[in-house]
Amino acid sequence: MMDVGRHPRIKLFVYSEVEDVSGYVGNFKVKVRKKARYVDENECNACAECAKICPVVVPDEFQMGFSSRKAIYIQLPQAVPSAYVLDMNACLGNNPIACGKCVEVCDKKCIDYDMQDQFIDLEVGAIIVASGMDVYDPTELDEFGYTRFDNVITSMEFERLICAGGPTTGHFIRLSDRETPKTIGFVQCVGSRSERRGNRYCSNICCMNTIKDTVLLKDHYPDIEVKVFYMDLRAFGKGFEDLLRRSRSEGVKYIRGIPGEIYEDSKTKNLILDVENTTTGEVEKHELDMLVLSVGVIPRQDGDLIQKLLTLSRTVDGFFMESHPKLKPVDAPTRGVFFAGCSESPKDVKDSVTQASASASRAGILLSSDRIKVEAITSVIDKDKCTSCGICYQACPFKAIVVDRKAKIPAEVIEAACAGCGTCGAECPFGAVTMKHFTDEQIFPQIDAILEENPQDKIVVFACNWCSYQGGDNAGMSRLQYPATGRIIRTMCSGRVDEQFILYAFSKGAPIVLVSGCHFADCHYIDANRWTQKRVEKLWDKLERKGIRPERLQLEWISAAEGQKFAKVMREIEEMRQKVTPEEIEHTKKVLSDWKPKGAKRRPKKAEVKIEA
Amino acid sequence: MAEEANFKCLRCGQEFKLPYDPKAGPQERTCPKCRSNSVRRIKEQKK
Ligand code: SF4
Ligand code: SF4
Ligand SMILES: [Zn+2]
Repeated sequence: MMDVGRHPRIKLFVYSEVEDVSGYVGNFKVKVRKKARYVDENECNACAECAKICPVVVPDEFQMGFSSRKAIYIQLPQAVPSAYVLDMNACLGNNPIACGKCVEVCDKKCIDYDMQDQFIDLEVGAIIVASGMDVYDPTELDEFGYTRFDNVITSMEFERLICAGGPTTGHFIRLSDRETPKTIGFVQCVGSRSERRGNRYCSNICCMNTIKDTVLLKDHYPDIEVKVFYMDLRAFGKGFEDLLRRSRSEGVKYIRGIPGEIYEDSKTKNLILDVENTTTGEVEKHELDMLVLSVGVIPRQDGDLIQKLLTLSRTVDGFFMESHPKLKPVDAPTRGVFFAGCSESPKDVKDSVTQASASASRAGILLSSDRIKVEAITSVIDKDKCTSCGICYQACPFKAIVVDRKAKIPAEVIEAACAGCGTCGAECPFGAVTMKHFTDEQIFPQIDAILEENPQDKIVVFACNWCSYQGGDNAGMSRLQYPATGRIIRTMCSGRVDEQFILYAFSKGAPIVLVSGCHFADCHYIDANRWTQKRVEKLWDKLERKGIRPERLQLEWISAAEGQKFAKVMREIEEMRQKVTPEEIEHTKKVLSDWKPKGAKRRPKKAEVKIEA
Repeated sequence: MAEEANFKCLRCGQEFKLPYDPKAGPQERTCPKCRSNSVRRIKEQKK
């Protein structure tokens, strides 16, 4: 950190927040709020005279509340820059000045109660999101007694208590009597790998963290008895198994079973654990001086804000989603944005450093080139057809469209930011968007070709390039049997599937249309497939109003690995197709006989265009 | 308790209840019987 602070080409903004991000790859504009710290960081030499005199004492967050700090303080001993900061919420007040003692003692005159937040505008070419993670709060798991029993602590609190820079200068004690415990237990997977409470995912780091902690304890206190209660031990990395062996050889006991209930002996403050040892099948009782809950990690609680600022997407777990899990693991779906560390998924120091190095290299490649290649598949907007309604702007997951609705300036696509999902094309009510390589003129003839002969025997399938089409491929490669009646039209994203394609297919005699795309968590275009779902839902209503059975329009999310699912869906839909009667198809064709493509329609009046908030 | 709404599977015809928040955006829904994603919310008839 010190090196970063001193580096001539790195500008560090500490105690700052990103307020706004606009622009696109190579041309981002970032607004940073540098919060007032009320101490001139360039002048302060961290002499600590101010903190000595300050009468306000509050819990020290960095030491997990095990010690206290003053209202004017330094966040941690290694803070960069090494300068004090005034916590205005704790200070006795600056308006009017109620105390002012720190100002009086500061020789360098660097305390300024009138300091204001500053706004700094930056122009950057790439952004790396390294916003980290938060830690699971185990209070809701009442059976473990965290906050009820003095001697139950979390693994984060353990780190402070055993750290030489911690509140006890590394002298490990339990909280009830400040004695070094003779027996200590660790409970694994607290808040992780649970369907009911906490999170479903494995937090990745807790097993190794505990193993490391047991070795540390045995180093400091060879006579201490250490027990680890676990469901599975995951020591999968380089050298990890060796560390586990070392821990075992030093006498640490690993017991397969998570405590069901924990009681406190009110006299000794010891903890009594009931555990079913799943290796022996016996219910055991263990009495311990102290218990450490090995808590999982969770996505940062301000993730929504970062997501909005950078148009990112998140997995169901809440961590930021990478552009591709195997091929682009450090890129965000928004070009020019990269990830490092736990913002993307829980990971240990080594993996974080690996990912950070990869992200720095990816950003470096981008910044060192004068020009970048844009996607060949982007959209263009016909200014003559565009009414500046702004629907495409709202639909674009990448915010790659600029439009001025008030000034009636037609929409324009920023090609460098467009990822080519085609959602704008499907959503534009006026047919003003042309999606290069997936134009209406290319897709309508495919529908015509499918339905040219015996349309009643065909299923028109729209499949997205990344998932459902690959799912079909997977089914084929696995030699899975499914009916040959499905005819696939590939689009990059299901977001491109315009309602007019579906209505056209029905008007041409299609018995069934299937729209398929990636599962929500896998959408390669952030959230473009949410628009697909909205569109299909609206279309079900529309079909019903026209007397067409909505069942004839099917929707399915199929991943590239789900060949089985693809085959199953095709078999089910084939059964449905066989039940669509010729009379039904004829009726549909009649109902839709006056159908016209979007661009050919009259322009709806302004009042007819509704924009969703 | 989260609000629930009635849904119908357009593949197998099964009707069921699922949590539903009118303010939340679209959700990936799966039929509990046939696992299809062609799940449609049954809107209440306007009086
Ligand atoms: S949706 Fe179509 S008409 Fe509306 S602003 Fe976009 S391109 Fe123009
Ligand atoms: S194709 Fe997709 S990414 Fe490109 S402008 Fe349209 S909605 Fe945005
Ligand atoms: Zn079903």
